[in-house]
Amino acid sequence: MDYLVWLEETPFSIWMRESGPAFFSTLVLHAVGMGFVVGVHVTMNLRLLGVAPRVPLSMTRRFFPVLWVNLVVVSLSGALLLVAYPAKALTNPVFYLKLATVLAALFVTRSLWTGVLRDPSHDAGRAPRKARVLAVLSLLLWAGAITSGRLLAYTHNMLMASHQF
Amino acid sequence: MEALLDFSQKSGIYAFMHTTWGWPVAETLHFMGLSLLIGTVGLFDLRMLGLASGIPMSALHKLVPWGVAGYALNVMTGVMFVSSAPDQYLFNPAFQTKLALMAIAGINVLFFYRFVFGPVKRTGVGARAPRAAQVAAVISLSCWIGVLVCGRLITYYRPPYHWCFWC
Repeated sequence: MDYLVWLEETPFSIWMRESGPAFFSTLVLHAVGMGFVVGVHVTMNLRLLGVAPRVPLSMTRRFFPVLWVNLVVVSLSGALLLVAYPAKALTNPVFYLKLATVLAALFVTRSLWTGVLRDPSHDAGRAPRKARVLAVLSLLLWAGAITSGRLLAYTHNMLMASHQF
Repeated sequence: MEALLDFSQKSGIYAFMHTTWGWPVAETLHFMGLSLLIGTVGLFDLRMLGLASGIPMSALHKLVPWGVAGYALNVMTGVMFVSSAPDQYLFNPAFQTKLALMAIAGINVLFFYRFVFGPVKRTGVGARAPRAAQVAAVISLSCWIGVLVCGRLITYYRPPYHWCFWC
């Protein structure tokens, strides 16, 4: 808890918390970035599940630069939000659930990328059964990430370690 | 405003939204809806602007009904928010801007399907979309990103501290 108090009292943390524009622009970037991160997965997974079958499966990788850019945006903005209210997130189990869900979802993306997405022989028609199972899992994990992320605003035990209320 | 509240109370929405988990559940569904919209319509816009040009546009367009479903989900959850606390929204500049951007996006959709979609469907693999389609794509992307930004900013402008800027 001591290091949380120390972090809260660094000038940068205070500025992130108390400057309205800094805090809210970070919040906005986090939301827009997350929309695109999940959005690219929506398209990839719907295609894997057989919606839009004439989209060449390996071509969905061309949308991945959008994913990489927005993963950087959500990571950086997420880190800044964490600096603003470290105790709020780090004392809340839901925060670790969100991190775990996102990491698991990205792990699924990686196995789809190294497996079926790089193999043009799946371009036409149905994706293999294993890939379809992973696509459902991916959608569920991203839904979980959204849910736990939204619940962070409702489940925290404290806002700040230095004055607990 | 009275009418909105009345509707919310009579339909049971008000009671649901004021339970412990009502509001967060609606917000979560609202974010899932926007992800569907960004993922399908947003990426279709990017395709019209030249990204992933190896994907036939008519094939990619088959995903758009999922975006429309996301939009419908967000209209429903949106009505739940606004009718349960109308004073937090109607006087809120972020909400007013959001509605204006949605109106522009709506006109853009009508314009797109009336005049541009035909040539877009006939555009082959590897080719760029017609100029008019690219303009429509830029308008669509800017409006929907703006809608997301304004949606997030609604909590920043909380009446009565921030009233409407332009009335």
